[in-house]
Amino acid sequence: MADRYLILEDGSAYLGEGFGSPAVSTGEIVFNTSMTGYQEIITNQIYHNQIIAFTQPTIGSYGINHDSYESILPTVKGVVVRDVASISTNRQRRWSLDQYLKQQNIPGISHIDTRHLAKQLRASGPMKASIVDVADAHAFDQLGATVLTNQQVAAVATPKPFPNPDTGLNVIVIDFGLKHGILRELSKRSCNVTVLPYTATTEEIINLDPDGVVLSTGPGKPQDLPDSVLTMIQNIQNRVPLFAIGLGHELFAMANGAQIMKLSPEHHGANHPIREVITNQIIYASQGQGYAVNPDTIDRNKLITTFVDLIDGTIQGLRYRDFPAFSVQFFPDGAPGPTETRDIFDEFVESMQQARGPVW
Amino acid sequence: MRKEVVDSMAMKRALTRITYEIIEQNKGIHDVALVGIKTRGVYIAQRIGERLQQLETATIPVGELDITAFRDDQPVNAVQAPMAYQLDFDVAGKRVILVDDVLFTGRTIRAALDALMGGGRPQSISLAVLVDRGHRELPIRADFIGKNIPTALQETIKVSVTEVDGHDGIEIIN
Repeated sequence: MADRYLILEDGSAYLGEGFGSPAVSTGEIVFNTSMTGYQEIITNQIYHNQIIAFTQPTIGSYGINHDSYESILPTVKGVVVRDVASISTNRQRRWSLDQYLKQQNIPGISHIDTRHLAKQLRASGPMKASIVDVADAHAFDQLGATVLTNQQVAAVATPKPFPNPDTGLNVIVIDFGLKHGILRELSKRSCNVTVLPYTATTEEIINLDPDGVVLSTGPGKPQDLPDSVLTMIQNIQNRVPLFAIGLGHELFAMANGAQIMKLSPEHHGANHPIREVITNQIIYASQGQGYAVNPDTIDRNKLITTFVDLIDGTIQGLRYRDFPAFSVQFFPDGAPGPTETRDIFDEFVESMQQARGPVW
Repeated sequence: MRKEVVDSMAMKRALTRITYEIIEQNKGIHDVALVGIKTRGVYIAQRIGERLQQLETATIPVGELDITAFRDDQPVNAVQAPMAYQLDFDVAGKRVILVDDVLFTGRTIRAALDALMGGGRPQSISLAVLVDRGHRELPIRADFIGKNIPTALQETIKVSVTEVDGHDGIEIIN
């Protein structure tokens, strides 16, 4: 294994060992505190164009299996770990992490002091970083000159509608870069899903006669999306039950007058206790958010806060007061776990059934 | 034969959804009061009341109603129990939400309406039930329904609540 460097925008450099692809790459670096679920995290499109540093010291110990992809092709720019497991065992294992990253042309770097890196990133917030072979002035100049795109959603969301047929309720999923977990949970509940691009208009959605609409997760900053998305949400939310997740939640809040703020430190992991306000129950959920709804900008005559993060008090869920439209900031599909939030999909299905009326 | 059709998680979700629907349809909880019909309706009303208070940080009156004296299956000439007003708050002007576990023939609800009206003139009365099993004998319908469970007449629906039965759940017994 060759020596490689992780270099950061602020001039710091970490010496490590390369694994996965030998490519040189640049992206925004974020750290993730999940103990497990690296495959789901690497394939989650919210990390488009980002380098993920895992704080869990050993990554790769159970390999890559064919049940845990969250997208067809991952678009992360790099994987930073303390140790990459050279031996991985699992009955479902197909490849090692190293083999998988080679296939997908994603560079990895190990032997990094990820504890130090995480502390640095907690203080600084996410910044540009590169995985390179030589950490010289030229490499830093290149890194400094790189401009990262703000069109992440357009890069990862589907350009064309596609169906995921089943025999149950008719659900439209608006794709901002969705993770497969959303489709998986809807499939388990027999929903007849049509995925539409994020540019879908109100008319296109209503013409498909949905029982409910899901706004998916996705990468990037919600303010970078066109205003037409907000208009669509305003027109849809009072017509059919609406369930918004992640980026969709931020857009749902914006469509109802709230403002979005940068979150520091960001939430990437599954270790935050979250309180469900209505029952006072504490849950844990998988999170991946760089932005949050500013609680001071919420119009309380319109929205109710339904979930609150107990570490920093950020809003994790909202609901419209006058009709069944609700949202969560975290990933309720439990991929990777914890899985205790999956019944929010049942709540959505029951809202749709209620809106349709009894079957007799 | 017993079959559990709603488990404790699903029952919790149903109560949560009913709570949100109460807020949706009443545009908030101003003047809202909950009245549970004994026995299990009372506990369901209390749980909905707790949820409303969590969300709106305001106290909502929750009362209980015993409809025994108002039933229509008692002999006409039977000595009537005193029809004392049973609630510890005034229903006049309130938006009362009547809460029961199972909606079946509708006769319990009719009796409850009689019992309730004896205490004053509410602004409105609506009905929340955990289960609607069909087979109505009176023109009564629920405004908030936890779950529609189509049943045959000879079947029984058993709603269990932790406070009385030690666990939450809904079963069909045949």
